[in-house]
Amino acid sequence: MSLAGLPRRILLEEKQMTREELDGMAGEFRYVVTDAICRSGVGHIGGVMSLVEIVITLYFRIMKVKPEDPDWPDRDRLVLSKGHAGPIVYTALAYRGFFPKDWLTTINQNGTRLPSHMDQILTPGVEITAGSLGQGLSCACGMALAAKHDGRKHRVFCIIGDGESDEGQIWEAALFAAHNRLDNLVVICDYNKMQIDGRTEEIMNLEPLVDKWRAFGWETFEINGHDWDAIYDTIQKAVTVTGRPAMIIAHTIKGKGNRETEGLVDCHNVKIPDETTYQRFMCGLECKFDLPY
Amino acid sequence: MGNYHEMEMRVVYAQTLNELIERNPNIYCLEADLGKASATIPEVSQRNPRNYINSGVQEANMIGVGAGLAREGKIPFCATFTAFATRRCYDQLTISVAYANNNVKIVGTSPGITQGPNGGTHMCFQDLAIMRAMPNMHVYSPADSNELRSVMFYMAASQQPTYMQLVRLKMPKLFEEGTPFDPNQAKRLHAGEDVTLVATGFMTRFALDVVRQLAGEGVKVDLLHYPSVKPFDTQTLIDSARKTGAVVTVENQNIIGGLGSAVCEVLSEQHPVRVKRLGIPDRFGEVADQDYLFAKHGFGPEHIARACRELSNSKP
Repeated sequence: MSLAGLPRRILLEEKQMTREELDGMAGEFRYVVTDAICRSGVGHIGGVMSLVEIVITLYFRIMKVKPEDPDWPDRDRLVLSKGHAGPIVYTALAYRGFFPKDWLTTINQNGTRLPSHMDQILTPGVEITAGSLGQGLSCACGMALAAKHDGRKHRVFCIIGDGESDEGQIWEAALFAAHNRLDNLVVICDYNKMQIDGRTEEIMNLEPLVDKWRAFGWETFEINGHDWDAIYDTIQKAVTVTGRPAMIIAHTIKGKGNRETEGLVDCHNVKIPDETTYQRFMCGLECKFDLPY
Repeated sequence: MGNYHEMEMRVVYAQTLNELIERNPNIYCLEADLGKASATIPEVSQRNPRNYINSGVQEANMIGVGAGLAREGKIPFCATFTAFATRRCYDQLTISVAYANNNVKIVGTSPGITQGPNGGTHMCFQDLAIMRAMPNMHVYSPADSNELRSVMFYMAASQQPTYMQLVRLKMPKLFEEGTPFDPNQAKRLHAGEDVTLVATGFMTRFALDVVRQLAGEGVKVDLLHYPSVKPFDTQTLIDSARKTGAVVTVENQNIIGGLGSAVCEVLSEQHPVRVKRLGIPDRFGEVADQDYLFAKHGFGPEHIARACRELSNSKP
């Protein structure tokens, strides 16, 4: 579908940030989230690190949200269907002011409000509980449908995983969103090419992935999911699509930004049993930052 | 208005949904390609098309879409056969609905043996058990059209994730229109001192017939109807068991995990008496009519009567 001639609707909160600012924020997020996960002793670091640039772009350049009013009716919604990447969304929510940054030190600790997988009851700013894979996209469809029925202009964003895309329910939702012309729904697939047991091409091949979504009736985009301009520009294009939902296949690197995890197939869920391992993971990051608590 | 007991329950379901939608546009009717079976096609689909969403044959997605609608303040009633409404999408119900406490109403149509012609693949005998075992979930099973309406009005007004069994057939009138529904309150349909009989949903009408027959024989049965299996009104049961000393349960379900189990859980902890559970004795279903299945599995009127007589006579 050609975008030429379509009115460019500026519906979103466009924030100008320099590349240096963005790179700095990504480095700090990777440092903070690695510390938070490692403190808990175990966590899904791989699929967290692959989403850093995408989540920062959404929460700091695009989505309209009110941290002081998490249920503000006109807010843009993000459903993290791959709920195990919760910690990177928690980091964004904390830096955006939804809750104090020192909550991040409680990830996966007893009594926490920041559990390993997203929980809409526990965490301010979390839209939908997710963790059992494949379910969040269906919920995002329901939210997008409700917005259309109510004549609301906000957007529903949803992030799914590539391993998650093995689930039949993803493709049920793919049919449903196209059939119902949910053009207020923009989905991003974190295509880091790895799932728990190995590479996606070995465990369950998804290719040709873009063709599949196109065949299901979606407008499709393909980007480098770590390229700031590509992420921002493509989301801005995706929200102007009319008559159909939009899928952005984001090519990413699992575990990106830490030499202990980057591109390693075993980085899905790491164990940090002791101080030595903790230091090794922290030293594997590209830059050091002061923790904000 | 009125004479709902002269209509099939599914038509009452669809007409009542229309009524609810017209009072509250946030009520939605969701189907997964069984709208004709639920009678919401054409009742709801034509009269309230905006509030009618058919997902096609996608039970899991229907529940997820329902959860998303509920997150936005809508109140979706999601209907399909009991087997598909519960066991097929149990994890979606568990996580997207109950764990997240999203206000979704699930309607399982043609419970138990009322699925007759579709046979064993479609007969779900465990929906009361598995839905009862889910935290945050209420579980209802109305016995006639008037009670169905009261239950639906309650569901539409509550913020509670709920599962309701819906018998699609015409059912004899047991309750007056407007009979109040309170999930914490069982209904005593007949008072007696000799034995307690506990029933729900489809089986209550048979239980009532049996109780009236037994009264003629001098066996006085305390008949309790439970439109809500969860929450479960413990006090009415305990009071009755204290009075009669023996309890028979009957349900259109596997005897493992459903109404009979709920009764045993309460009594074994709080007032132990002898209990006889009638229902499907842990078997699968098959294509057959009601009388055949009652006879095969031993929970028809004659079996209910025999169990009541035995327990009534067996008291020390």
